[in-house]
Amino acid sequence: MDINKTWQGVLDQVKTWARVNSPWAIHYNSGSCNGCDIEILATLTPRYDAERLGVKLEGSPRHADVLICTGPVTRQSRERLIRIYDQMPEPKFVIAVGACALSGGAFQGCYNIMGGIDEVIPVDVFVPGCPPRPEAIIDGVVKLLGQLQGGVSAEPVTLTEESVPAPQGVKPGLA
Amino acid sequence: MNTLVAFLTMVIFPGGLFLLFVGMMYEWLDRKLVARFQNRIGPRWFQPIADNVKLLAKEEVLPEGVHPQLFYVLPVIALSGALTAALYVPMFGFEPATSFNGDLIATIYLLSLLTLSMGLAGANTLDRYSLVGATRTLTQLFSYEAPFLLALLGPALIAESWQIGEINDYARDHWFILTQPIGFVVALIGLMGKLELPPFDAPEAETEIVAGAMTEYSGRGLALFHLGKGVELVIGLSLVAAFYLGGLANPIDFVVKTVLLLGFLASVQALMTRLRIDQTVGLWWRYGALLVLTQYLVVIIVEGTIA
Ligand code: SF4
Repeated sequence: MDINKTWQGVLDQVKTWARVNSPWAIHYNSGSCNGCDIEILATLTPRYDAERLGVKLEGSPRHADVLICTGPVTRQSRERLIRIYDQMPEPKFVIAVGACALSGGAFQGCYNIMGGIDEVIPVDVFVPGCPPRPEAIIDGVVKLLGQLQGGVSAEPVTLTEESVPAPQGVKPGLA
Repeated sequence: MNTLVAFLTMVIFPGGLFLLFVGMMYEWLDRKLVARFQNRIGPRWFQPIADNVKLLAKEEVLPEGVHPQLFYVLPVIALSGALTAALYVPMFGFEPATSFNGDLIATIYLLSLLTLSMGLAGANTLDRYSLVGATRTLTQLFSYEAPFLLALLGPALIAESWQIGEINDYARDHWFILTQPIGFVVALIGLMGKLELPPFDAPEAETEIVAGAMTEYSGRGLALFHLGKGVELVIGLSLVAAFYLGGLANPIDFVVKTVLLLGFLASVQALMTRLRIDQTVGLWWRYGALLVLTQYLVVIIVEGTIA
């Protein structure tokens, strides 16, 4: 019994260590003005070299651990955002980058936006700025990893009709 | 006692854990070298280990519309093919664990098993990126395989043996890179095509087709394919080094020669941009295969005149 527990503890530690050291990211633009996206790309250039932290940009949501999202969620991209989130395997984390991703920012009050990523999918880290500098984005990633290390494991979230209400004028039903 | 030795051979050295570890280290070295060539700092030494452990601990999503047994079994076949091939190769400069007459051909086919599994894995899913990736993977398989095989047969012709161990012994005092330089280059470039390293990474071009045949794989399957590639990198490097760079006599020999080759591969990766799939095929069949065949002719004629 005890040995089992220790064994489980060691396994968990190894898993956390691997997770903290190898965050593979996927980048999605859910209606931003492109300013934030350019900063994210700048973060991946040799000058900032995110690979030294283990960050790798992946093309497929199936390979990714971290969804880096920019922009207010427009009604059209809402469905795609949910679909990408659903396609990622557990455990998965979301970083919202930019003022628009936090609250709608410059687009706040527009008829065609949901207003912030966290209106649609659960977000782990918010990075403010319009657009945030690459240093800020890296800081966001490091904060997320710190959170993981502290043992705050993200609860697996299942998106349901109640947790993601469709906005007015959008036909109900998930992706 | 015999069973114990056989067990150790398969699980620890040269197959199994040891090879997986060395594979990951070589993958790291490759990534680090490319990063340094691009003026970056590059990944830390344990990066591939962390990547693979993380992938193994992740959820594996079974996409809709795939054949589940095939989906789960193909990564295992790929990795085990690569690991089995290690038994016939003078890993780390020691004698091959087992050998029989003609194990060169068996090894080359075992090494192709990885690519074949990847192609089938891509074709198994409904996703169109995977399908395009699978087509390209298999096309590339057909284009580099023949020149690569021919290039490895060159030394075998001279050594008059189809046994990797014997060729390795023969190569110790015959540096084939001097007598068959074309074969050496073709074998090395063929290895790059086999491992889908840039500039031959059209099958997994992430700017066009997401991740190629691997698009739908997550977690365990992806980790096994990654590990298989690392293992294949080590085996391929040691094969080329054993055949062309004066054989592998001891561990120091092994490390020096393979790391040298890896440095060359990394610099080509950093220098070149991706070739289109039709350019890859053209390169192999129009130049690679023909050049090797020409060299065969020369070798045979020279052999004939000397003898
Ligand atoms: S935060 Fe600023 S830069 Fe980023 S998407 Fe919004 S308006 Fe554009």
